[in-house]
Amino acid sequence: MADKRSVGHAYNIDFLNVVFAASSLFVLFTTVWMVWDDYDREWKNYQRQFTALEMEVTRAGLAQVEQGVDQTRVAELAAQQETAEQQLATNGEQINALEEQLAEINRQLFIATQAFNFTKAEYDVDRYSFEVRREDAHAETQGDEVHEVDGEEAVNAQYDQWVAEGLQVERLTAERDQLRAQIGVFTAEVDEISGELTSLTGESERLQEVVAGLQPNLINDYLLNAPLLDFMAPSLTVRQVITPNIVDDVNFITVPKMDRCHTCHLAIDRVGYEDYPQPFRTHPNLETYVGSASPHSLETTGCTVCHEGMGQSITFTDAAHSPATVEQVDDWEERYGWEESHLWDYPMLPSGMAEASCAKCHQGEVFVPEADNLNLAYGMYERAGCYACHKTIGFEDLRKPGPNLSKVASKLDEAWVSNWIRDPRSIKPSTWMPRVWYNSNTDTEEYAVRNEVEIDAVVAYLFANSSEHEPEIRFPGRGNAENGQRIVESVGCLGCHITGDEGREVAGPRRTFGQPLQGVGSKVSYQWLFDWVRNPRHYSADTYMPDLRLDDFEVADVATYLSTLTGGDGTSAAATYQAADVDEVLLNYMRAVVPYEEAQAAIAEMNPDERQLDLGRRAISRYGCYSCHEIAGFEDIQPIGTELSQEGSKLLAQFDFAFVHDIPHTKRDWIDQKLRDPRVYDRGRILQPLEKLRMPDFGFSEVEARLLTTAVLSFQRDVQPKVSQVSRSARKDAIIDGRNLVRRRNCVACHEIEGDGGDFRVLVEDPSLAPPLLTPEGAKVKPDWLYAFLRGPITIRPWLEVRMPTFGLNDDHWNDVLSYFAAISDTVGPFRTHETRAAAATTRTGEELFDLLRCQQCHVLDTIPDDQDVGNLAPDLRMASERLQPDWILDWLIRPLDIQPGTRMPTFWTEYPGSFYPQFDQDADAQIESIRDYLLTFSGGPSPVQGN
Amino acid sequence: MDALKRFIDLFADPRLFFLTTVVALILIVWKRETFSSDRWGWGLMGFLALFFGFGLFDENFQLIIAKPDNVPIVALIFLLVFFTWFSMREAVRNDRRVSAGESPIEKDEADRVWTWPDLVYTELIAMVVCTVVLIVWSIVLEAPLEQPANNANTPNPSKAPWYFLGLQEMLVYFDPWLAGVVLPSLIIVGLMAIPYIDKNPKGNGYYTFNERSAEVTIFLFGFVVLWSSLIILGTFLRGPNWNFFGPFEYWDIHKLEALTNVQLSEYIWVRWLGMALPENWFIREIFGILLTIGYIAVLPVLLVKKGLTRYYEKLGPTRYYVTVLLFLSMLSLPVKMLTRWLFNLKYIVSIPEYFFNI
Repeated sequence: MADKRSVGHAYNIDFLNVVFAASSLFVLFTTVWMVWDDYDREWKNYQRQFTALEMEVTRAGLAQVEQGVDQTRVAELAAQQETAEQQLATNGEQINALEEQLAEINRQLFIATQAFNFTKAEYDVDRYSFEVRREDAHAETQGDEVHEVDGEEAVNAQYDQWVAEGLQVERLTAERDQLRAQIGVFTAEVDEISGELTSLTGESERLQEVVAGLQPNLINDYLLNAPLLDFMAPSLTVRQVITPNIVDDVNFITVPKMDRCHTCHLAIDRVGYEDYPQPFRTHPNLETYVGSASPHSLETTGCTVCHEGMGQSITFTDAAHSPATVEQVDDWEERYGWEESHLWDYPMLPSGMAEASCAKCHQGEVFVPEADNLNLAYGMYERAGCYACHKTIGFEDLRKPGPNLSKVASKLDEAWVSNWIRDPRSIKPSTWMPRVWYNSNTDTEEYAVRNEVEIDAVVAYLFANSSEHEPEIRFPGRGNAENGQRIVESVGCLGCHITGDEGREVAGPRRTFGQPLQGVGSKVSYQWLFDWVRNPRHYSADTYMPDLRLDDFEVADVATYLSTLTGGDGTSAAATYQAADVDEVLLNYMRAVVPYEEAQAAIAEMNPDERQLDLGRRAISRYGCYSCHEIAGFEDIQPIGTELSQEGSKLLAQFDFAFVHDIPHTKRDWIDQKLRDPRVYDRGRILQPLEKLRMPDFGFSEVEARLLTTAVLSFQRDVQPKVSQVSRSARKDAIIDGRNLVRRRNCVACHEIEGDGGDFRVLVEDPSLAPPLLTPEGAKVKPDWLYAFLRGPITIRPWLEVRMPTFGLNDDHWNDVLSYFAAISDTVGPFRTHETRAAAATTRTGEELFDLLRCQQCHVLDTIPDDQDVGNLAPDLRMASERLQPDWILDWLIRPLDIQPGTRMPTFWTEYPGSFYPQFDQDADAQIESIRDYLLTFSGGPSPVQGN
Repeated sequence: MDALKRFIDLFADPRLFFLTTVVALILIVWKRETFSSDRWGWGLMGFLALFFGFGLFDENFQLIIAKPDNVPIVALIFLLVFFTWFSMREAVRNDRRVSAGESPIEKDEADRVWTWPDLVYTELIAMVVCTVVLIVWSIVLEAPLEQPANNANTPNPSKAPWYFLGLQEMLVYFDPWLAGVVLPSLIIVGLMAIPYIDKNPKGNGYYTFNERSAEVTIFLFGFVVLWSSLIILGTFLRGPNWNFFGPFEYWDIHKLEALTNVQLSEYIWVRWLGMALPENWFIREIFGILLTIGYIAVLPVLLVKKGLTRYYEKLGPTRYYVTVLLFLSMLSLPVKMLTRWLFNLKYIVSIPEYFFNI
């Protein structure tokens, strides 16, 4: 120890030197590490890889282009060019002299232009200063005293000088152009040849340049991208679009989206990369998305408004990529170290589910064109009746999805109903009716007694509250089952019903619009079937089942056939119970609302039947049967489910996974699991009977659950601003209403409209015998005729077996249909002028052409041609004047295949506007008009207008 | 291994945790000769390293300790243990020398050293090392960002910054105005008042325990037990819904704890006196009010008569009362904890009519 008064050292300095040296090395090392860490980014590697890929693709394109170039012509032109250049060389002296003159003029022009510009700049400055001086002087002026300000003359003089200099520039320019023209006389031939050469080889030269640009280059690829130097002008850069009208809601404010997805997805908007693996694949639908000409271009729409995920992030995991399958999870974990990102509340939608985002901007549309998955999903959402229990914006005011049960006693017997509700799918595998009892939280043996008590009580309530039904014909005679089957299979019943064992998923929501007819013969009596088929509205006034105008003999055949479709009896009771069990369950229900003593007293006052009925009422109320079915006593009660209008925007933290740990904890997996086993989140919990989950089990398949998850995720709160919404107009509204209507009345099951639907058409062997495509209907037929036809369809093509049914829609809906067809054809409205030349001469030429083209060979004109295959037959032309729009007839004659792809109507004017036929000096328009005018002279065909 | 984890989880209960820290403090003070040995010091550090190293292999514990927010807290635990042990070791050494008639180590050392290299050079090294630590830290641990804040979605658990977790723990036992306003102010004022209260020159400039046994013990109780250990408890053992979780336990959001707490007034009026609660809040809370007044006004006076007579004589009335008030406020936390744990007592005075609770 040093002396207390002396100055000592607190540390061993040699040791400190070592520590300092070591720590300095560490700081050097960590600084290098820091720079490298900052430099080494996932996305840069993708950009490097893409450069190689781009080279490969461009080279392939170049090879293809070069193959297409006519090499002999190129050689020929090159030879010509050489000759022409030699020719040019002979005039070398003259040209040189001219070019010297041109150089001198150019020099003078440069000086003159510069002087001209200087003068203009000085003039502008002086004029401005003078104006300000004068304005200031005037502002100081008091009363009538006026200050004169000098200098205006100088400014004007400057202007004159500027104009003079301008004249000099114009003179020199004219001289220069003259000289150029003189030189041009000599070089014209060479220029022409090289122009032609460029047009031949231009594309390949451009591609060669691209390839050259892609070659590795010391400065561009190494120096500018080097660590610490890459702040200047690197070729590897983060790419982003900022979309002012598409926003992110960060809860306290909305900010424009900043999407950087194409930093790695480099070929997303480029044609030619369709078959390369991600991230370098072209978007599968450039016409609609991403492409610069599409309605959702990259610049205006970005990526994440549809796909979700964190657009600002440029690492795989943080961008919140979501795998679609378990295999993809494994693959991603291995390749990218992927894990579910919790940094963003709205992770990317897995591939195939992006349509859930359409409704963000297509608000109030429900059915969005080209969103096939979403439309299918919404169809299922309606078929399964999700909206009946779960209020959902866009699905309000729809009819209850299940059959009316207020007259159930006249249709079914109690034993069948209890077997049915115990497990509907054991009777009809394709039904949408869900299973309410014996689900994953109630299928234990101990619970069976309670299930049976509730089932019997519900059935007892339904039958006790069923009103009378008197069939229109009491004792119908039997018909011919074979004939019935032919009718069912041909007139169009199969558009909405399935009779076989097609699964719900295969048949799809349109062909399960009506009840599956599996086992219907074991379900209801012949008498009831006859009554129902004959007139469905007699039993159920608000049914959507239309009238196919069958006569009573046909009805008998159909009913006889349907009653042969017998099936299983379903599942019988799994337990028996005593009257005391009913009391116990009833007490349990009542205890939830009244004190124990009161409940006991109330039960004591009832007889056993009353107890069962009371329990039935309470069970129906708890399970929400009345949400889907009309049940007496439940007319004005609210549905039981959670509202789903904004379910897609709900945060993950609001979903309760309870003890379910075997699925990923994401929103989509929660919904998917809930759909596939609605009671799953009760697993492992101890719950009193009334605390248990009660959503019934629809037995959704993987595909169905995925589609419905897409539908549920599409229900979002409004975040995107008004400017990003699809603009509305009367026409747009008509389209929206119409799209809803044709789907909700299942028109699209038989007819293809706007490229969607027509499921029935695949059941018809010959497409020309199937229900027609209706997309051009608005342009084709007259509104008066269409209105009359829809109200009371007539037979237009007697050789077709399928029939247009009579739908009992009201005028509101018919007008919606007419406006919809008008809107998709973009017609102006119901009233139109038609310039028809009803002159006798033209009509005669029309007749001549009519015979020449042998229209009557296929078209009916009162009598059906008997030498034709039915597939070739065409409607009675006597209807034309009443039915068809005269303008449309012209369009149809010119280009039938464009209007109705696959039609058998021949295109007679393939040379349009030219013509093969001599009439009217081969003027196709005049010929077509004359035929049209001739057609319009026919009359007396079948008409829906009379009598409607 | 699982059995060991379960045992540790079982042990992690706020009562046991608090009791353990108090017992540990008593042992450290009482058995300081043993505690201050090198074997104990390095043994403790080794044990901590082993515990956290072992914990890293547990899925649930890993989530807590490897969370970028919590990494510095883990480091601070090492520092806390090290410096507690180190100061105790130095104090014990000095105490030994003093009792042997020698002066403390620090008095023998030179009291002047060179600015360069002793001061500036070490500062430079400290700067360089700090830079290295910060760079490595920022490379290895990503910034603990979360999703955009959302007023519809409160994080669960919602934890204060680590240095306030002790205060947040107090909120479990006190009304917010006490735990969030009065007590923090008293802590700051009390710390500022120390130089004016404690004028004892002993222990200035050197480590000692014997010469300042009461002060050091009170400090260790206040800082290590009431402040630091509650931070550790808040960081590692409080989970969703502010429920208590063992370090290896899964943070299940559904975990429930039976918490039915009773007010003092209910105990006295309903249970002991067998009558309904009086309507008037003043009469209802009169016992609690009297008790509180007794605690802060009467108890110090009684302590003058018996127990702290020597202190009163040494400090004089003003300094004595300020000291005792600060000390009693500090003790109010363990008092409140004990009454809560033993009697489910929620508040001593509870006047919801005026949002006033003690």
